[in-house]
Amino acid sequence: MNALLRLLSIPALIMSRLPGLAPVIRALSTSVGQKLLMAVSGLSLVGFLVVHLAGNLQLFAGEDVFNAYAEKLHSLGPILGIAETGLFAMFALHIGLALSTASMNRLARRTAYDVRESKQGLSVLPSGGASSWMMVTGCVIFVFLTSHILDMKLKMGPGVDYTAALDAAGEATNSFAAVKAVLSHPPHAALYLAGLFALGIHLSHGISSALQTLGLNHRNWNWLFRTAGVVTAWTIAVGFMSVVFWALNQS
Amino acid sequence: MSSDKLNLTLRVWRQSGPEDHGGFQTYKLSGVSTHMSFLEMLDVLNEKLIAEGEEPVAFDHDCREGICGMCSLMINGQAHGPDRGTTTCQLHMRRFTDGQTITIEPWRAVPFPVVRDLVVNRSAFDRVIQSGGYVSVNTGNAPDGNCIPVPSSTQETAMDAAACIGCGACVAACKNASAMLFVSAKVSQLATLPQGKAERSQRVVNMVAAMDREGFGSCTNTSECEAACPAEVSVSHIARLNREYSKAILFSDT
Repeated sequence: MNALLRLLSIPALIMSRLPGLAPVIRALSTSVGQKLLMAVSGLSLVGFLVVHLAGNLQLFAGEDVFNAYAEKLHSLGPILGIAETGLFAMFALHIGLALSTASMNRLARRTAYDVRESKQGLSVLPSGGASSWMMVTGCVIFVFLTSHILDMKLKMGPGVDYTAALDAAGEATNSFAAVKAVLSHPPHAALYLAGLFALGIHLSHGISSALQTLGLNHRNWNWLFRTAGVVTAWTIAVGFMSVVFWALNQS
Repeated sequence: MSSDKLNLTLRVWRQSGPEDHGGFQTYKLSGVSTHMSFLEMLDVLNEKLIAEGEEPVAFDHDCREGICGMCSLMINGQAHGPDRGTTTCQLHMRRFTDGQTITIEPWRAVPFPVVRDLVVNRSAFDRVIQSGGYVSVNTGNAPDGNCIPVPSSTQETAMDAAACIGCGACVAACKNASAMLFVSAKVSQLATLPQGKAERSQRVVNMVAAMDREGFGSCTNTSECEAACPAEVSVSHIARLNREYSKAILFSDT
């Protein structure tokens, strides 16, 4: 376990030790710098989710509207490529920092307490609220994300029947039909709902936490940041879930 | 009155030295007055142990009036016990019930190695302070009062941060053993006052580097530190630390 933790903390250690790097890079590799990067990458991903959700909700407008949107998106060519590269970089940064900071945090306490009790008021989730579940929910989201890319982008979802999405050339170009095919497959629907539930929990702490990390804290507005964080989190999660339920209902 | 007296079972962490593995020892203590402080209860335990020819339990304490920051016990899984805004020495036995089992552990963090029993070495905090928790620019003789006007609200903010007694409860209570609240209290206190502003950029960069060197964890904004802090230092100071740090690395010349 310790060996594994040490291994995972290597990226953070290397980042903090590399000589000859620009001062800003070095500064961003300290504990506070990594938090800042975590917050910026996390909020960027939330921004992506909002755009993604806006795209998905066009499913409700019918097959033609959604496919036209998908076609327009794909016709962007190199711009889409750049955007996707940026998106993958954000995911890689966010996940990489999560693994390395989490393992450094573990290394900071080798002997666990025998008895542990929170001094904060009751929270919805056990052991100190959503902030204690970031790694668990993050892992669930990662599994969901991997499956999501396999199902929707590569059209290789195991057990999914893509025949309705095929065009004359045998390519799965009908996005509307592909989405329906994946989401009406019960094991996929279950995984997607689990992933989105985890996303709701993850963001209900993540958004307000990122704002605090970026220094947005004032006693007049903290209630608003926290409330807005939770509301945004569950709006995104429930918004995506509605698509899954819609597809299940259609089949 | 019998309700003034408690019969307690104490599970105390015993460790003969830094290299020892240590373990829990269970002691029965009867007739504990509810008016005793927690440390007085431990004094009674120690007198009993000495009378029985056993080694007394080592624990840190000094002023016993809640201002020195020496006492440092994890009581039933809570830093300084169940009360908010209270140090162990100000915790009274009336907070416990007759027949209760109380588990007493030292602060647990790699930068705070156990010296003996419940005593940990908190020199790591001193080294963090040495890296910048002071004003070193020569500002001449003390100016006349009101020469440097500081708004009352700013004074209050600085004072709220300066209330930190350096006990380490924030590190002990944090799931990541992070010292962010301690460091932010000093950074925040000095960054809000005119005397500290001159060195604010180097200070925050140096103190964060010192904190990382000691091996403290990182902050996940769980706010458990704020709840455990006997001086009730707010996590808003961590936000100020983050702002100070971003400003220093992005816009400072030094």
